[in-house]
Amino acid sequence: MMPGILKSAVAIFRRDIKKFLSNPFIIMMTLLMPIMYLVVFGNAMGGTLTHIPVGVVQEVPPYNDTPLFTNAAYQLNHISQGSENDAEKLLDVTIYTDEAQAKQDLANGKISAVIVFPSSVSNDNAVRVYVDSSDSVTPSLVEGAITQVLQGLGAKNPIIVDKIYGDIKYLQFFGVGVIMMAIFSATSFGGGLALIKDRENGIHEGYLVTPIKRSSIIMGIIASGTVRAFVAGFTIFWIDLLVTGIILQSFQDFLLVLLVIFIACVGVTSLVVSFASRFSVQQEYQSVIVFLNLILFMTSGAFYPVMGMPGWLRWITLINPEYYGVHALRSIILRNQGINVIGIDLIALLIFSMAMIVLGVVTYRRTLE
Amino acid sequence: MQDTWSGNPEISRMKSAQSTDAEAADAPAIIRIDHLTKVFSSKTQTVTAVNDITLEVKRGEIFGLLGSNGAGKSTLIRILTTLLSPTSGSAFVNDYDITKDQEKIRSIIGVCPQNYTSDLELTAYDNLEFYGKLQNVPDSILPDRIMELLAMAGLSDRANMPVGTFSGGMKRKLEIVRAFIHRPLILFLDEPTIGLDPDARREVWQQIMMLNKEHTTIILTTHYMDEAEKLCGRITFVDRGRIIALDSMENLRKLIPAGDLIEIGIAHMDPLAEEEIRTIDLVNTVTVVEHNVTISATNGSQAILSILGVFDKYRIPVISISIRSPSLEDIFIYLTGKGLDSGNGEGNDATGPGRRRSQ
Repeated sequence: MMPGILKSAVAIFRRDIKKFLSNPFIIMMTLLMPIMYLVVFGNAMGGTLTHIPVGVVQEVPPYNDTPLFTNAAYQLNHISQGSENDAEKLLDVTIYTDEAQAKQDLANGKISAVIVFPSSVSNDNAVRVYVDSSDSVTPSLVEGAITQVLQGLGAKNPIIVDKIYGDIKYLQFFGVGVIMMAIFSATSFGGGLALIKDRENGIHEGYLVTPIKRSSIIMGIIASGTVRAFVAGFTIFWIDLLVTGIILQSFQDFLLVLLVIFIACVGVTSLVVSFASRFSVQQEYQSVIVFLNLILFMTSGAFYPVMGMPGWLRWITLINPEYYGVHALRSIILRNQGINVIGIDLIALLIFSMAMIVLGVVTYRRTLE
Repeated sequence: MQDTWSGNPEISRMKSAQSTDAEAADAPAIIRIDHLTKVFSSKTQTVTAVNDITLEVKRGEIFGLLGSNGAGKSTLIRILTTLLSPTSGSAFVNDYDITKDQEKIRSIIGVCPQNYTSDLELTAYDNLEFYGKLQNVPDSILPDRIMELLAMAGLSDRANMPVGTFSGGMKRKLEIVRAFIHRPLILFLDEPTIGLDPDARREVWQQIMMLNKEHTTIILTTHYMDEAEKLCGRITFVDRGRIIALDSMENLRKLIPAGDLIEIGIAHMDPLAEEEIRTIDLVNTVTVVEHNVTISATNGSQAILSILGVFDKYRIPVISISIRSPSLEDIFIYLTGKGLDSGNGEGNDATGPGRRRSQ
């Protein structure tokens, strides 16, 4: 005969195990989580940057290419990164004929660096490098590559590096990403959870018998979720500025930041609500949301430049609203770029939002079944 | 509280129509249900919650759906209110097909579900406003309508308090008037008085009768007999998803042998005494459950003398005696062989008819 205390403990144990086994979905999610950390976190954080787009250009006049320029451009384009077997190119070199054009592309984020070679081969003339310093990895990689190539060619030219956005600390680089995380957290506890709570508590049984349409339910919840997320994103934006010491360049930048935060809120909230429209149990929803939070944040480029991720992971960034949000915010806050650069991010976010709203409306269960 | 606004032209048309139950008997059907079946399937088992139900509800009546827990009442209501789709069969609410015109049905019905569905964090006013907007009540009249409903529910002074602070009865009354905010043609009340104290129940009943006077057809589910007796014009008994009887209270009474019910509490029973009681002229049936004897007799007060004589003869001490007319519950027990509270209990496990059953 078991003593009473042990008997009760066994009863509790059995009950918990029964409940645990009764929901295979949650078991699966709990297993998926560490696997995600292993695969996504590992790859998103420790990756080596490859295919960094750089422009090379030679000073004019004269208008004919020097051997140094030709050889250096070729070799820069063929530096490999990573281990011998799956060696990947470090730089994707584009040859410019016009220095101004190259710098323009750099300012607009099309390339990450411009390398200007002197027109005469004299060892005294410097190689000028203009590099996008909004992440902390690219400048040193580009500089290292140039040094390596010049040494290989036996050229003794000095290298002058101009970090066009100044010295940006990792905290400043990362801080922008945290704004997106704040938006996601606010919206997953706001919009999505509100919908599930209504369903779990049976409150929706009251309003599903009214003529309310599925689209009204989804749109209403996305709207309220967006407002909550915006408040969170806006607050974290200010805190980010205070903590990292970034100063916005103009009032126009400030307005652009608000616009980006708002549209990112719509995008992320639509995503979360479209997921929530299928779930009826908070626990299931939350396990999915934690998972989504992780994968979206990891692949958003908040931690590490997206260029460092393996190809398959970069595909995820294409359908990740946080990626576009982080990119747009960084463009404005760290690089002082304008609507011409972030326009594509905003369009991507809006297309994404529309798709998610449609998905949410279509999958929402209008009945109790 | 005369109409300042009527959301449905149907209602205005009905104003000149009947209001009493007697008149309702001749009224046209507003709900027609034809061989409706609902089967719930899971991996391990299949449950037929509604089993081939056919019935009609007439305009302006209070129609009662009675049955024990799990009889299928709520499932039937949920099908009629478009929350569930039937497995087979058809049903029409005001001529709208429940599988095709859900949108139209939702605009003419008001539903008060069995569980509380008000937002506890919001005030009574906010809750009513929310539903008023969902039901397309014009903004110009909504504030007045809300105050009118709050007055009807006796909650005027609580308008701006969170519903979470309300008692069960107050919440229930709020939900009933909420279902009525757009003056629906049909009102579905699923167990409106479950869990309420006797005072609160009486108030809810008054409210329901008041709403019915406004020419609203009311469909009510309950497992309280007194509630159905008090409110409903016609009553249907549902048991295990099937209809076992459907008629007016008066006609249902005729189903069981005429006469009174005599209940006698005794210390022990002697089979010989039971046999002798059966032979008494006025006695129709005798049921013994433990220490309770229930006797149906043509004339209770006369028969009681002979019955007591028998107990005396066999020296069986009588503890209590009561005589009464059969109630709806007795009819239910007679028809199903079990009490209403017994759920899916097996066989005749009722301890006797007429147990008090207010919560």
